[in-house]
Amino acid sequence: MADYTKPLPVIEPWNEPYWRAAQRHEFVAQKCRACGYIHLPPGPACTNCLSDDQDWVALSGKGTINSYGVYHQLWHPGFKDDLPYNVALIELAEGPQIISQVTGCTNEELTCGAAVEVSFEDVTPEVTLPKFRLVRP
Amino acid sequence: MGLHDLRDQICIAGVGDTQQGAVPTKSGDELAIDAARAAIQDCGLKKDDIDGFFAQPSYGRQGDYLKLGLMLGLNPRAGGAVEASGATGCYMIQHAALLLHSGMANYVLLVYGTNQKTNRNRFGGALLEEHAPYGGFNPSLPFAFAFRRHMHLYGTTEEQLATIAINQRRNAILNPKAAQKTPITLDDYMSARYIVEPLRMFDYCYITDGGHAFVLTTAERAKDLRKPPVYIRGMGRQEAFRAYETPDLVMQSFQQERVAKMVFPMADMTSKDIQALYVQDAYSPAIIAALENYGFCPKGEAGRWIQGGRIALEGELPINANGGQLSETYMVGWQNTCDAVRQLRGECGPRQIKDVERIMCTYTGGLREHAGALILRR
Ligand SMILES: [Zn+2]
Repeated sequence: MADYTKPLPVIEPWNEPYWRAAQRHEFVAQKCRACGYIHLPPGPACTNCLSDDQDWVALSGKGTINSYGVYHQLWHPGFKDDLPYNVALIELAEGPQIISQVTGCTNEELTCGAAVEVSFEDVTPEVTLPKFRLVRP
Repeated sequence: MGLHDLRDQICIAGVGDTQQGAVPTKSGDELAIDAARAAIQDCGLKKDDIDGFFAQPSYGRQGDYLKLGLMLGLNPRAGGAVEASGATGCYMIQHAALLLHSGMANYVLLVYGTNQKTNRNRFGGALLEEHAPYGGFNPSLPFAFAFRRHMHLYGTTEEQLATIAINQRRNAILNPKAAQKTPITLDDYMSARYIVEPLRMFDYCYITDGGHAFVLTTAERAKDLRKPPVYIRGMGRQEAFRAYETPDLVMQSFQQERVAKMVFPMADMTSKDIQALYVQDAYSPAIIAALENYGFCPKGEAGRWIQGGRIALEGELPINANGGQLSETYMVGWQNTCDAVRQLRGECGPRQIKDVERIMCTYTGGLREHAGALILRR
């Protein structure tokens, strides 16, 4: 894993718990203690009421593919061996929408609206990326 | 007192542009200055008449407000830098209109210049840093999402999308300023490589060097200037920083429908009154979104609606008559509004839209958070 060449997440004080949870293969979101709003990506305040009093809650890891794009163009050398690779907008069951990738299938198997669930990819000893897999019937 | 009071009160009095395409001998700031000089000359003012000044930054340190102000030798009363990526040009025109209407300024200069073709700016970064670990690079990603979802929801096809690029290339061939003039056919389009599928090379703006500038003033002052005034009939804008929390994120309906509710009532018009449309087309699906969200066609219909010559120069609603950013030049929407002004003045030669009196220009930017529109009339 020393030769992992893709960009790594930028860890800030407010998103560190998200990445620490991912390391433990737990998928979490911020939940506002003031108004109860569940939100991602992590931020320094609630995007609904601006409170800085934020808790973390476990998510089900379930969602659907809102849409996706398949990269045929290389913009970062770390992705050279992955082309063509997908980047997907995932609508999580609890509401937030996040950018991730759908793995374990071909790009041709992707469709908008398909059910997915979270899976974890340990990319370095310090970093685990939450990704998604198709839920097969 | 409301937005309605601004109707027809402010004019675009001068437009200026430079050579577009590759201009390796000049920096972005030099191109901005050349465009500013051209716009001031276009309306017959002197530099020292300018008392309002806005600059749009390009990448790097190009277009810095203070630096450009020093180079231009201006002492404006009001102005500043505006940064809202692809909607900046639209927002600046609106800021200028408000300053002019309030009396804070009398002649406002707006400038933009870049040499990002010569410097090979590849737009390879992620829009938000949390996209980078997943390979989500380049601002086209939300447009790829939008078109994929449109295909899924409404059965829109890649062949239908091709009409946009083919039509704009046809317009560019008639435009001496355009950087891309090789005709393209449906076969050329369909055999072009994907960049971020479902978008192909021809769906992407063509990166260029160049500069653009506008001079705005009040309707009363514009009467004494060199060129026929072009009036701002309507304007509107809406930010959507919470777009990620809305289910219509990729379709932009939240923000653009709100812009529509400002711009059309201000103008006392509906989409049916618009005779030509310019869309800030960084990527071709921007046109699909604008047509549906501003009410030119029903939701889901844009792919079919644009067929059969409807958006051609001689059609019912010509779109991006200059070739747009896919084929004329990529100046983040500035080139489109510049062309709209020239169309309303009747200066467009072989690509002149017959008897055109009312034109709408729409802009979007960011991950699609920024949206704005102008209705111009002669
Ligand atoms: Zn809250």
